[in-house]
Amino acid sequence: MAVAGHSMEPALRDGDWLFVLPPRRQPRVGEVVVLRDPRDSKRLLLKRVAAVRDGAVTVMGDRRDHSTDSRYFGDVPLADVVGRAAFRYAPLARAGRVRS
Amino acid sequence: MFGRLLAPSVVAHAHCDIPCGIYDPTAAKVAADTVAKMVEKIGQLQPSATDFTTRGNFVRMTLVKEEHAQICKKELEILWSDYFKPEHLEKFPKLHDTFWKAAKLCSKNKQNVDAAAAAELQAAVKEISDMFYATKK
Repeated sequence: MAVAGHSMEPALRDGDWLFVLPPRRQPRVGEVVVLRDPRDSKRLLLKRVAAVRDGAVTVMGDRRDHSTDSRYFGDVPLADVVGRAAFRYAPLARAGRVRS
Repeated sequence: MFGRLLAPSVVAHAHCDIPCGIYDPTAAKVAADTVAKMVEKIGQLQPSATDFTTRGNFVRMTLVKEEHAQICKKELEILWSDYFKPEHLEKFPKLHDTFWKAAKLCSKNKQNVDAAAAAELQAAVKEISDMFYATKK
């Protein structure tokens, strides 16, 4: 999966390539997840989990001044979380686990 | 090395929907030019004139000068905090200092009617504008 945009900088940058794992368990606070855009289900978003409650997640971009997230579209049902960003494989210089 | 086989086929968006890609130093430049023009026009008024037309013009020009000094500061702060990134700082080590001084010049121009300060503000905005366009090359 390729990253487009700047809302997750400096952790993830525009153009980074990621391995994404399917969600086998409930996401934890701090993890970076891939979710369906609540406004357009064909579009995928990449955000960090800020809270999990009642079958929904609150997600936030790392760059708060530069992110459209739960502050704007509200909590997202767990069913719309399609994966967890686990590993960056490009660029090689910054390859490694995506930190919580 | 990373051929097509490894290239991801799916894109995940980490965007802001509204401000992305609409950064432009022109707004700050127009505001700084307006400040300079108002200082020039205030200087052309007859200081001893007491008629309402002259007084009205003085008040109006002062208001516009102060308003645009504030707009200039806001526009510069948007570029400073949102557009410029750490990698730009590596290329322009004076970036923070230039912005800081320019923001202070906005305040100075709001408080005073000072042609030299207005020219300094225009020069500072030009310097920032040059850095901005250098990042676009």
